[in-house]
Amino acid sequence: MELIVSEGNPQCLKVLAALGLTGVQCPVQHVHHEETVVPFLSRPALPALLLPNGQHLFSANAICQYLFEVNGQDSSDLCRQWLEWEATTLQPALLQALHKAVLQGKGSEMSQILQGPLNYLDRSLSKGNTTYIIGEAVSVADVVLWAALYPVLSELSVALDEHKSVKSWFDRIAAIQSCKSAAQKVMQGKGLQGMKSYLQRQPAPQSSQCSDTQPCNN
Amino acid sequence: MALRELSSLEKYLGLKKPNKYSTQGDKKVPVLQNNTGPPLVGLVTVACHLVKEAKRPELLGDSAESRAVVQQWLEYRVTKLNNCTKDDIKTILKDLNMYLQDKVYLAENQFTLADILMYYGIQPLIVDLAIQEKEQYVNVTRWFDHIQHYPGIRRHLSPVVVLRNRIYTSRHH
Repeated sequence: MELIVSEGNPQCLKVLAALGLTGVQCPVQHVHHEETVVPFLSRPALPALLLPNGQHLFSANAICQYLFEVNGQDSSDLCRQWLEWEATTLQPALLQALHKAVLQGKGSEMSQILQGPLNYLDRSLSKGNTTYIIGEAVSVADVVLWAALYPVLSELSVALDEHKSVKSWFDRIAAIQSCKSAAQKVMQGKGLQGMKSYLQRQPAPQSSQCSDTQPCNN
Repeated sequence: MALRELSSLEKYLGLKKPNKYSTQGDKKVPVLQNNTGPPLVGLVTVACHLVKEAKRPELLGDSAESRAVVQQWLEYRVTKLNNCTKDDIKTILKDLNMYLQDKVYLAENQFTLADILMYYGIQPLIVDLAIQEKEQYVNVTRWFDHIQHYPGIRRHLSPVVVLRNRIYTSRHH
């Protein structure tokens, strides 16, 4: 088994944090983000996990789920629901926000783009009234959501003033040693600018739901 | 679309009492109204729940590795296949074709939920392919034809004719 990661890519932050938290033994290889690792994909896709049976996993969320399962923690329905929300709702908004902030210099638009997803997360956290997203123990959902939000929330203190539950949850995960050191490895303390070359290689986000001229209503 | 898929999946799984569904937001994300707990949101989440309800855990994979591969293709289905552009379609078919080169099913040799939901999601793309394109993506076409003929799967979808004599070595020559 081998985990292959690159710098400046929040998807890699997910898997390194999960690896540290679960304590699964697996060598990590650092490569350039444009390196083709998964043989059947036309676009470079990192992180990747080479499984013991020779197959490649190319989805960070599936890799995290696998590491937690190997460590004896299966995903519950609720956990899967958060991972699906992250992949289908949060990721498109994050990509759009990061694209604007890092490549177009419009950092001020980030909080508006992320308003909807952050409101949803904040409501769920305050309603659930639990220490972590699902109950009282760290789950794969915490790691995946924290890592996805890490680059923006480390910069965007304004958005967190309005989202108190997100802030206390985010700080709680960020204080975990494995998460701290994963963030240091992937982001190298460079902030959003450290993601520039990674973002330049991502397909431009589709803004079909929210056009540039009209404000988004959700 | 997603609700018809879930209803076909329920029938395949042989679930006796149909569940109550609604949809949420512009993207019509399916929501399962659950009697015993809070509603479940999302196609993958609901589909995995149904599989567990039907006590068919093997459809989610029979090892940690295959379960990870199944989750990966389920995520691929809802992130890549939903709302894809013309260019995306080419990349998707090319990549899948490469992936399926040495595989019977998405999780190697085992039929899983990943095959079912990927089939439901890719059917509208395959319907639109010209004959030459079907030949170009021969591994996808072979897999697709296999799944659409898998007992109890096709349900709400119309069968797509693929060129059997090109894909399988014909017995009639």
